[in-house]
Amino acid sequence: MTKDQETELLDRFNLAVFLEAVRCLDENVSTAREIDIAMRAGAGLSEGPLGRADKVGLDKVLARLEELEARWGDRFHPPERLRALVASGRTGVAAGRGFLEY
Amino acid sequence: MYVFKAAVLGAGTMGAEIAQVISLSGLPVVLKDVDEGQLGRGMAHIREIYGRRVQRGRLTEHDAEDRLALVQPQLDYKGFSDVDLVIEAVPEKLALKQAVLGEVEAQVSMTALLATNTSALPVTEIGQSLARPQRLVGMHFFFPASVMKLVEVIAGERTDEEYIDSAIEFVESIRRVGVRVRECPGFLVNRILMAGLAEVLRAERDLSLEPREIDAVVAASKLAPMGPYALADALGLDIAQDVAQTLQAAYGERFDLGDRIANLIAQGKRGAKTGEGFYTYTG
Ligand SMILES: NC(=O)c1ccc[n+]([C@@H]2O[C@H](COP(=O)([O-])OP(=O)(O)OC[C@H]3O[C@@H](n4cnc5c(N)ncnc54)[C@H](O)[C@@H]3O)[C@@H](O)[C@H]2O)c1
Repeated sequence: MTKDQETELLDRFNLAVFLEAVRCLDENVSTAREIDIAMRAGAGLSEGPLGRADKVGLDKVLARLEELEARWGDRFHPPERLRALVASGRTGVAAGRGFLEY
Repeated sequence: MYVFKAAVLGAGTMGAEIAQVISLSGLPVVLKDVDEGQLGRGMAHIREIYGRRVQRGRLTEHDAEDRLALVQPQLDYKGFSDVDLVIEAVPEKLALKQAVLGEVEAQVSMTALLATNTSALPVTEIGQSLARPQRLVGMHFFFPASVMKLVEVIAGERTDEEYIDSAIEFVESIRRVGVRVRECPGFLVNRILMAGLAEVLRAERDLSLEPREIDAVVAASKLAPMGPYALADALGLDIAQDVAQTLQAAYGERFDLGDRIANLIAQGKRGAKTGEGFYTYTG
């Protein structure tokens, strides 16, 4: 597998998981903190999807989703909640706030 | 509400392990089944789990005996009048779960908490015919429950918040991690994980990759303890397919697994349990 393919594969997996987590948040299925706990304790992920996105930087996550949306369509459409967080400067760990607080 | 005594209905794959986890925390638990053979196998499995803990030096033989004695196997509802919590783990059939919980409701006190370990059925529908549906919660343990720390505590449309609080307290008291989930198809973990698996299957196709190399890359990235294909094999491809179909019906195309897994199932390859899935298993 080439380096580019590897990046694409992992990004698509991580972002599909991230987007579903955001949908759960939008539908009030659970809280950001609990979603991350559940994905670690129940699915064995090394990091929760929301905390991971905060760490990467939500501005970067948004930009990557826009690329993937252009290439693969609607299912990568960036959620409003993500745009709002980026617009208000809550871009994740570096900013002290994102989906979670730091 | 404090749970002094619990009961588990169904001594199968999940029920036996859930009863073991409860007894390990020092609580008495009734393990009820309708099939004597299943009840015997369930108890043997619990003994095995305790045996392994003793072998690993995590429990003395004496303590293991004491905890094991907390599990009371039975075929009837004897002693259910002072049970504070009943966890239903009978087969995944809506009508059966409704009937069993209806039966139980007549045996327990007014304030007892009722829980269902359903993987995918709506808690609201399971509780539909109960006299007091507000006390039914989903308590979704993961396989194998003796190892997995997470329990999703699911609120149906009619579940009262106070019962959710009690369920979370109970889950913590048996040294598990409880998260609050509002009912939706797939609940939380299966829904989010399946979204990832479906995307990996699409990436496999788009980039012409092999399952083996994908698993290797995912494992090397330390994102997850095993790659998605090994995980699907471990889960059972038929079960993964069922879950994905439920999710696709509820949320749409993003949960479409394509025909990759369906083709394997059609060849009788349903994962590790049949010796073959994406990988071949021996012994
Ligand atoms: N197996 C898993 O990986 C898993 C994971 C999470 C949740 N679940 C859910 O847990 C539940 C149980 O699944 P399982 O895999 O343990 O099933 P199982 O078939 O292994 O066990 C079910 C047991 O229930 C008993 N039973 C049948 N009717 C009964 C009744 N009226 N009263 C008491 N006992 C009765 C059966 O004799 C059997 O021993 C299902 O709802 C399933 O969806 C399963």
